[in-house]
Amino acid sequence: MVKLTANYPDMTITKRNSTFGIVSSGSRLERSVAKRIEIALGARKHMRHAMGAIDLDWQQLVSHESPEPARATQVLPPAAALKRHTLCLSSTTAWVACFFSIILTLLTSSTSVTAAESVDYLKQIKPVLAERCYACHGALKQEGGLRLDTAKFAIEGGDSGAAITPGEPLASLLVQRVTATDEAERMPGEGQPLKPEQIAALQTWIAQQAPAPADEQPEQDPRDHWAFRPIVRPIVPQVANSVWVRTPIDAFIAQKHEQSGLTPQVEASRELLVRRLYLDLIGLPPTVEEVKQIGVESGDGQYDLLVDRLLADPRHGERWGRHWMDIWRYSDWWGLGDQLRNSQPHIWHWRDWIVESINANMPYDEMIRLMLAADELYPNDSDKLRATGFLARNWALFFRHVWMEETVEHVSKGLLGLTMNCAKCHDHKFDPIDQVDFYRMRAFFEPYQARLDLVPDEPDLARDGIPRVFDGLLDLPTYRFERGQEGQPDKSTAITPGVPEILAFTDLAIQPVPLPKEAWQPERRPWVLETYLTTARKKLADAEAANVAAGEKYATASKQLEELVKSSTPDESKRASVETSVAEARVGLHAATFALEAARIELESVEKRAAAMRAAWAKADDASGEAKLAEAEASTAAVAVKAERRAAVAKAHYAVADLEFKHRCSPEDKKATLKTELTVAREALAKAEQSATTAVTSADRFTSLAGAKWTPTRTISTLEDDPLVEFPAVSTGRRSALAAWITDRRNPLTARVAVNHIWARHMGTPLVPTVFDFGRKGTPPTHPELLDWLAAELIESGWDMKHLHRLIVTSSAYRMSSSTVGMDANLVKDPDNHRLWRRLPIRLESQVVRDSVLSLAGTLDLSRGGPSVPMDAQTDSRRRSLYFFHSNNERNLFLSTFDEAAVKECYRRDQSIVPQQALALSNSGLVHDAARQIAERLSQPTAPAGPQPDDEEFIRRAFETVLGTEADSEEVRASAQALESWRKIPGTPANDAVDRARQNLVWALFNHNDFVTIR
Amino acid sequence: MKYIDHHEHVCRSSSRRSFLTGMGMGCAGLALSAMLQRDGYGSEHQWSPPTGRPHFAPKAKSVIWLFMNGGVSHMESFDPKPMLTKYGGKTIAETPFADTQDPKKLALERVIVPDANGNQRNTLYPLQVGFRKHGESGIEVSDWFPHIGTNVDRLAIVRSMWTTDSNHGAQVQFHSGRHMNDGEFPTLGAWVDYGLGSLNDNLPQFISIGARPYWNKSDGFYLGPAHDAVPLRVDPENPLDFCRPERSFSAEEQRVGANLIHELNAMRGVQHPQDSALAARIASYELAFRMQRSVPDVIDFSQETAETKALYGIDLPHCGNFAAQLLAARRFVERGVRFIQIQHGGPGAGAWDAHSNLKACAGLALEVDQPIAALIEDLDRRGLLDETLVVFATEFGRTPGSQGADGRDHHIFGFTVWMAGGGLKRGVVHGATDEIGFHAVENRHYVTDIHATILKQLGLDSRQLEVPGRKRLEIDHGNPISEIIA
Repeated sequence: MVKLTANYPDMTITKRNSTFGIVSSGSRLERSVAKRIEIALGARKHMRHAMGAIDLDWQQLVSHESPEPARATQVLPPAAALKRHTLCLSSTTAWVACFFSIILTLLTSSTSVTAAESVDYLKQIKPVLAERCYACHGALKQEGGLRLDTAKFAIEGGDSGAAITPGEPLASLLVQRVTATDEAERMPGEGQPLKPEQIAALQTWIAQQAPAPADEQPEQDPRDHWAFRPIVRPIVPQVANSVWVRTPIDAFIAQKHEQSGLTPQVEASRELLVRRLYLDLIGLPPTVEEVKQIGVESGDGQYDLLVDRLLADPRHGERWGRHWMDIWRYSDWWGLGDQLRNSQPHIWHWRDWIVESINANMPYDEMIRLMLAADELYPNDSDKLRATGFLARNWALFFRHVWMEETVEHVSKGLLGLTMNCAKCHDHKFDPIDQVDFYRMRAFFEPYQARLDLVPDEPDLARDGIPRVFDGLLDLPTYRFERGQEGQPDKSTAITPGVPEILAFTDLAIQPVPLPKEAWQPERRPWVLETYLTTARKKLADAEAANVAAGEKYATASKQLEELVKSSTPDESKRASVETSVAEARVGLHAATFALEAARIELESVEKRAAAMRAAWAKADDASGEAKLAEAEASTAAVAVKAERRAAVAKAHYAVADLEFKHRCSPEDKKATLKTELTVAREALAKAEQSATTAVTSADRFTSLAGAKWTPTRTISTLEDDPLVEFPAVSTGRRSALAAWITDRRNPLTARVAVNHIWARHMGTPLVPTVFDFGRKGTPPTHPELLDWLAAELIESGWDMKHLHRLIVTSSAYRMSSSTVGMDANLVKDPDNHRLWRRLPIRLESQVVRDSVLSLAGTLDLSRGGPSVPMDAQTDSRRRSLYFFHSNNERNLFLSTFDEAAVKECYRRDQSIVPQQALALSNSGLVHDAARQIAERLSQPTAPAGPQPDDEEFIRRAFETVLGTEADSEEVRASAQALESWRKIPGTPANDAVDRARQNLVWALFNHNDFVTIR
Repeated sequence: MKYIDHHEHVCRSSSRRSFLTGMGMGCAGLALSAMLQRDGYGSEHQWSPPTGRPHFAPKAKSVIWLFMNGGVSHMESFDPKPMLTKYGGKTIAETPFADTQDPKKLALERVIVPDANGNQRNTLYPLQVGFRKHGESGIEVSDWFPHIGTNVDRLAIVRSMWTTDSNHGAQVQFHSGRHMNDGEFPTLGAWVDYGLGSLNDNLPQFISIGARPYWNKSDGFYLGPAHDAVPLRVDPENPLDFCRPERSFSAEEQRVGANLIHELNAMRGVQHPQDSALAARIASYELAFRMQRSVPDVIDFSQETAETKALYGIDLPHCGNFAAQLLAARRFVERGVRFIQIQHGGPGAGAWDAHSNLKACAGLALEVDQPIAALIEDLDRRGLLDETLVVFATEFGRTPGSQGADGRDHHIFGFTVWMAGGGLKRGVVHGATDEIGFHAVENRHYVTDIHATILKQLGLDSRQLEVPGRKRLEIDHGNPISEIIA
């Protein structure tokens, strides 16, 4: 006996011998059902369909005491109304299966016929259709010519006829398709089948004649989606609360207030506002003196001046640079051990470019253009080339497809608010983006590679160099991958670069960009040869000095020996050691002499090679084909080859001499290894010498003094580098075309996405919550007119970000208090503050927490830029946190506790509150040290020779310093009590410089919620 | 069985005002759910974050997840293949099993860059260890794992696993269900932490012990860092990051300080009565101070009997370290911690990665065998095994063919995972690989089927945990392995 799931308490299927029966309780429906079965049995077509489509493992079903509910419920709708029927027939398994299927269909229909309760189309049907069907049968797409976004459309149907026939659920194609047992037949084509209760509701609704509102509107045309419409500056509304309006922003906010009957919260206290501005604009808290400079009673004049001052402060670039580093996915390099696998070494040059550009108020559109295509737009401007670190950061050693896909995904999400990544495998389900559009976007990036460009004064690219991109593989085709599988490229068509049709407001006009010689022959940059020459000269000078030192050492040792020998009473016990020193010094001098020789010849080699390179350029640049130049090239090249060979010999000589020296001085147990190395070095020397004596032919080449080096990938094999990618004389122009399209003022997305990011960071909440998805699946803006006004303002101000910052932070909306006190009416109407009637508090970002601690302690090191502070130096470093080495694999523990930016995707920082943060703040040495330093400082007399502050005075000053607010009497009382309790603890270590209890009070304030909060 | 803590429920409920009224213990995280709420997702899409209650009656309440880094040879552990010995030294093409290398059958592998580890290993390598039958079930277990063998009647062994990443990114894949090139996704432990409430107000709910060599140190990803595992060391002096003051600071000083912090924060609540972050901050400090006291207690084994310690092998040099981790795991489970993730095999690719000298794995087995067997036995005799799922997993198996003279390469087409307790059948083998252990051929299971099985036992439906904007694929959800569920 098999019992069919909990949904069918009244129904059992029995098997006796080979007779199957469905047993259910009898009712008035008996005749009706029996008749339907007769009809069904007679309908051969229906039966064939049922037999073909059957997907129910009957054997499995009957062999289990209790079939798995999930499985049965997928097929069976609830049959609560069915009472008792008995039907028997003798059959083969196939027959049983067929029969069973028919029964199911009947159960389905009888349910809908008998259900008494009516179904609400808008609540029960339409949301299901929207969720599961609209992607293919709605405004975006009309597969099979069918739309289901209105009941009328469904009745009209598509290529296969009506999808629903009112009153006839069984006959409705929609029902047949959603209940089909054959997966190929069943809709929706992806994901789980509709739930039984959803199917039941659908059937009931159809049975009840499929009622729908007469004025039911079809889904909006995707082209009319708010984010795809051109940005038109809205008119600033007139509002009743005009005294509150300081900037047009306030008018838009006030309009919403007034529409909802909300009152804006009062302005925050002046000291809170000052702290807010400091933390927001420069990422550091104000000092007590800085707060006091802005008088409590002063009007907007001082406030505005402060805003200007902070926006002009170089620390502003560090603060907002870090925000953009989140969005643009800044990451130092990572790999396995020393092997570079992701991002680029020295990528900090890009970070410095971001910070400098923000401080210089470079327009946003220019920043985007440079990040995407500085190599095409300013191929000779090393400063601007740093911007392409944005793309160089996506470099991956092995996974070319991941590199390309991440680039497409994050250019789309970060700059355009488009989830193009959804179209990697199939057409986008919500936005008008076809699968091929993903690959068209990829084609913009297909040719690009990464390289390191030499910086002045450092010829060693392992030590420094600018990571940047260039188009290296100009003809590499882009193919669409079937279902996004990289193993299944559709090679029938090479995809050309392009943008989704809906956003194609202009022709892209992709033109190849011829590059100046210095771009693709970077060794021609004026400083490159000079860098090699200077370095070689410096090495020579160092070698000379070392040689002199070695000579002196030998002379001293020799003199010692001489004196020892000459002495009337020679101390024989010393003799052996002095003799050893002499011998060692002699070998040392020997090695130093070889080093000097090597350095001298190396300089010569560099000089000759530089000369040969200049001769080669002279010949190449000469259009007249003068014979002299060709001769000069050939002869200087031969000289350079010889010089380089001689340098190799000298270097090998030095290597041998150095090993001899080490061998002489090393302990016995190391000698064997050094001996082996020495043998190898001698062999190398012999080889170098032989090469040096071989005649130079015209086929011989010298090693060019490189101005840049391609970063080799391993996309073909993990064991060796891919074939060298040369620097072509031309770039495809694809990326500059893309950059022009993204920053075109007609692009409806770019400015909206940018202002949304800026707004979110000032106000604690974005206008469009889905900051990287402005598509139809995203959440619409809370203040659409404000968003568009800000976007228009950004564009028309020349993409001036400081202008936008100023507009926002001087608004009344920005200055509201975050308190809810006295706002009970608002709380009822808009508890979640969607209409911005108060400020939202913001938890400080990880970097700001650490920087603030150091800043308040007075120990923050404000030096700017340069290589990232390595992991092992971070504990002792006092630099601002944005300079810390930060990659996917390595991140600072303290910072990561406070939601450090995830390097792979960070469009919004989390603001989590977890106990690990409490542990970090209460236990880290950083905070304890800062607490001591602050307590020491605040315990000093305020005036020279004045009295030391008493406890109450100290408490007040500590609150002002750490939290930026005045302590109220209750806070003073509690703090004083704690001071007293701390002082009573026996055995607390004495501290001469500062009262331990006071230090602990400062520590407690660092652990106050309002320390890590922008109120 | 206690499913849910009252405070936790309050904290995770969708009303932010009730959050405040419940301003108490256990609100450790206010990350994603609150953010989505604030952004209006909740109202727009009728979505609400998990309540912390199971979706249906659970069979288990905790998971101890033992993961062997590097890839344990299934053939030398729980899936004996005598044919390897019989045909050892022959190429697969020379044996009756030539069709195992049919390119069609190899298609599921996702190797993007072929490397030394991605090559076919064609010459069959004989079994390097003996097997014997154990227990009433008579299931064969290799002699590397004699202690686990004696517990075989408590295990449910799945011999038909497959995955797709043929490099150690498969470690990520085993935890998140996705190939590492697909992006980053929450791990199983994060889903459990996200879906279920706390059972203990003094301890983190999701703990990770041991090196995580090849995968990111995060778990929560889009669920938020509140659902990352808390890294823990079995070191009473330094069990958690920042667990002890880094400067001299007595417990008494801290106690006074903790009271002051609480008092001052609560005072700000007068000005900010609706500030859920403030409430959560207060709660997080209380939890932190309690954790700081409780965690060292949990890993202090002085109250354990000598017999128990000996059972785990705490004092044995070869396995004492791992034994301590597992004894700690049992003590965490007793105190209601949901998910304890323990990685064995250290950094790098993982010690089990036997490209050469496969026999050295005998030494690794020695490190884990007795402690794991002891854990199962100890849980069972305390009546905890029925509500605790112990999982023994690894990222992939090893090739039937040899690599070099004495190693086996990575192998994704068939490998073994076993589970014990938590309402699973005892002493069963499910699924099978072919005769040389190449392909899973019977009841094949992708890694997310393990996730689905665990979630089902914990009473969670992964589909109900989906987050707006983060559509999951069918394969992410997996299917529970109903055949091994009791």
